[in-house]
Amino acid sequence: MDIRIALAGNPNSGKTTLFNDLTGSRQYVGNWPGVTVEKKEGKLKGHDDVIIQDLPGIYSLSPYTLEEVVSRTYLVNEKPDAIINIVDGTNIERNLYLTTQLMELNIPMVVALNMMDLVRKNGDQVNAKKLSEKLGVEVIEISALKGEGSREVAEKAIAAAKAGAVGSRASVITGKAGEAVKEIEDIIRGSVDEKFLVWNAVKLFERDAKAIEALDLSAGAKAKIEAVVKACEKEMDDDSESIITNLRYNNITDITAETVKKARAKHELTVSDKIDQIVTNRILGLPIFAVVMFLIYAIAMGGWNVSIGTRATDFANDVIFGEWVPGFVGSLLGALHVGEGTVLYGLIQDGIVAGVGSVLGFVPQMLVLFLLLSILEDIGYMARVAFVMDRVFRQFGLSGKSFIPCLVATGCGVPGVMASRTIENERDRRMTVMTTTFMPCGAKLPIIGLIAGAVFGGSPLIAASAYFIGIGSIVLSGIILKKFKAFAGEPAPFVMELPAYHIPSVSGVLRATWERGWSFIKRAGSVIVISSIVIWFLSNFGTVNGQFGLVENLFEDETVVTEEYVAELADRMNVPEEDVTPMDASLLAGVGSTVSPIFRPLGFGNWKPTVATVTGLVAKEQVIGTFGVLYNYDAVAEQAVDEETGELLFDENGEPVKAELSEEGDEIWDRVAQDYTPMAALAFMVFNLLCAPCFAAIGAIKREMNNAKWTWAAIGYMTLWAYVLAFITYNVGGMITGEFGFGAGPLVGIALIAIIVYLLVRKGYQPDESVKSLTSVSANAA
Amino acid sequence: MMPLSFVRPGEPVTIKMIKGTDEVRQHLYELGFTNGEQVSIVSQVSGNLIIQVRDSRIALDKTMANRIYI
Repeated sequence: MDIRIALAGNPNSGKTTLFNDLTGSRQYVGNWPGVTVEKKEGKLKGHDDVIIQDLPGIYSLSPYTLEEVVSRTYLVNEKPDAIINIVDGTNIERNLYLTTQLMELNIPMVVALNMMDLVRKNGDQVNAKKLSEKLGVEVIEISALKGEGSREVAEKAIAAAKAGAVGSRASVITGKAGEAVKEIEDIIRGSVDEKFLVWNAVKLFERDAKAIEALDLSAGAKAKIEAVVKACEKEMDDDSESIITNLRYNNITDITAETVKKARAKHELTVSDKIDQIVTNRILGLPIFAVVMFLIYAIAMGGWNVSIGTRATDFANDVIFGEWVPGFVGSLLGALHVGEGTVLYGLIQDGIVAGVGSVLGFVPQMLVLFLLLSILEDIGYMARVAFVMDRVFRQFGLSGKSFIPCLVATGCGVPGVMASRTIENERDRRMTVMTTTFMPCGAKLPIIGLIAGAVFGGSPLIAASAYFIGIGSIVLSGIILKKFKAFAGEPAPFVMELPAYHIPSVSGVLRATWERGWSFIKRAGSVIVISSIVIWFLSNFGTVNGQFGLVENLFEDETVVTEEYVAELADRMNVPEEDVTPMDASLLAGVGSTVSPIFRPLGFGNWKPTVATVTGLVAKEQVIGTFGVLYNYDAVAEQAVDEETGELLFDENGEPVKAELSEEGDEIWDRVAQDYTPMAALAFMVFNLLCAPCFAAIGAIKREMNNAKWTWAAIGYMTLWAYVLAFITYNVGGMITGEFGFGAGPLVGIALIAIIVYLLVRKGYQPDESVKSLTSVSANAA
Repeated sequence: MMPLSFVRPGEPVTIKMIKGTDEVRQHLYELGFTNGEQVSIVSQVSGNLIIQVRDSRIALDKTMANRIYI
């Protein structure tokens, strides 16, 4: 039989770090509470029969947030063979509160006193042996981060699980409450498992609804218990829950008084506190955050000398995937006698290499961004940002806690959506799930990089604006949605533990960066390869004037491609006649052009961006992968242009002069840039940033909403919002920049702005707040 | 008695009472806010507080901080 060992402890006490150390897995670790929102299991290294279960952090066995329910349900209902209770050595008092509850579960347990390296560094002393005696549970000093003591803890936990017996543990429920609990034990004895008698009795004393429900007691027993509880409450002049809480803390304080020696006087400010006084400062907090974010994006995506991300990605796009890889693959294919112009050559070079290469080219940029964000996370700054942003978010009907999912979503929307579980209030959680993926995730970066780089000459303003479009959309959506009945009401109060700052560990940061980057590369090797192949086939085969085949070959036959046909095709595909390429006759163009009228009001209504947008549902980076395939047509077929006049060149016979093959590998992006006006490109970016996320994220939304109606509402809302914003961007933006004059488009755009403003300022549904006001009245009266 | 949000950052204060619904109170207890416990304010931003309590820092917004009386 397998031995199941659960890791339980306060949030941010290092459970996942220990889990990774014990199982050799690479679960994501972050320096803020609530990183782990799901339970995860792994096998103990070297022991195939021992399963380690990582649980979300909990402060107590009375769950407050959704992810805490996961932990309690597992510990109480599934009952692991042993518990490793991780206690943050730098904050023993608060951590032992949970320990005293876990002890009542009567499951074999070992306490892992974590962060002992920090404790020693602070000059504090913890007497683990004495603590162990006082609690009646084995206590082992460890440092999960440094891997010290983890094996020992695991061995002890296995031994405890095998022995199965639980020694005599200290009870913290003493005095009158202790007597009352004993009375309850007598009442329920026989109707519950003897092993869990104490746990159940304490929970019944606290009137824990879930425990009462699970027990199925007779009405008579319930009445007797209530009488016992009432009598005790009356005698101690407090409610039963508070009585128990106070007892726990009082006993813990007694224990720590004998076992813990602090070098620092109580309430002396720590370094963390001093840093907090600056970065969470009333005046400086927000500007500091804005500067930090700007610097990160400047380094990763800007167009300056310091922008190593952009420079590395330019190199990857222009040189590695522009020259080296196609050159290498070309000579390889040549050696295999696969000639240029054959279907196989085209498939590999123009399909796979161009599609995957265009995605992989953005990896350096992403790694830089992820590295910087990981450092910020590891330091502990992100939790402060939630606090600073709470004040701002609250104005928009969201709490600062919604900011954490948004931040996580800058890496990937899937964990971002899942991170919303730390939000206590269901309304706030739903609203966060609906809006979180507005943030530009890693896979959307190539889109931003492409538009900012190819169309706007590497403007950091465009890159940063993508970020602000994301935040802005969340904020505006917050205000608008809050006025609907389903979301009305005050956001839940903000309560969050702030972790101590620490110097980021090099290996931890590099691992977090690599994990995120690697998942991106893996997708490029799987989903993107397949999609690119499909797109290549669909975009290279088609019917030209009634004949089916490789469109490029058919186009060379002038008996097939008549002038009338080209004119008709240009009309059908909504492109100028001289810009018609063979691809416009492809199957993909046919499908795309039937959908593309939807996007015509947004300025990018021809089939290529339409197809790119739709393929973005598979994975957002496929938008760029698709562009890579679609714009990688044979450069030889291009006509030369007079450099001065910009007119097409013809030779003396009236034949078009062919352009020389460009030396630059980034000609794909130049072609993209030619195809779009700046505002159309911007509208394209806006739409793709905000519309329905990729299938993986939609799946996550479906899981978190757990309701088909809400899932569709979320996706519908996002797409509608994206459409409206892209419409305004193109039409009103185009009018302002002079791309076209005033007309129906700008008029509708302005009307849409008016509607948004109305939705923002209207009074909205007023919920019945009488219950809430009651509590605030009583609070004010005191 | 006055709510915690009235306190200036710096000086340690002793909690006298916590108000609010059972759920909210219970959560504050779990985080270490109990009657008789000494806490101090690290930072204050328009009523939102960062509070040092039992060796940890907890961020509370105004509505929560107003439930803790000293």
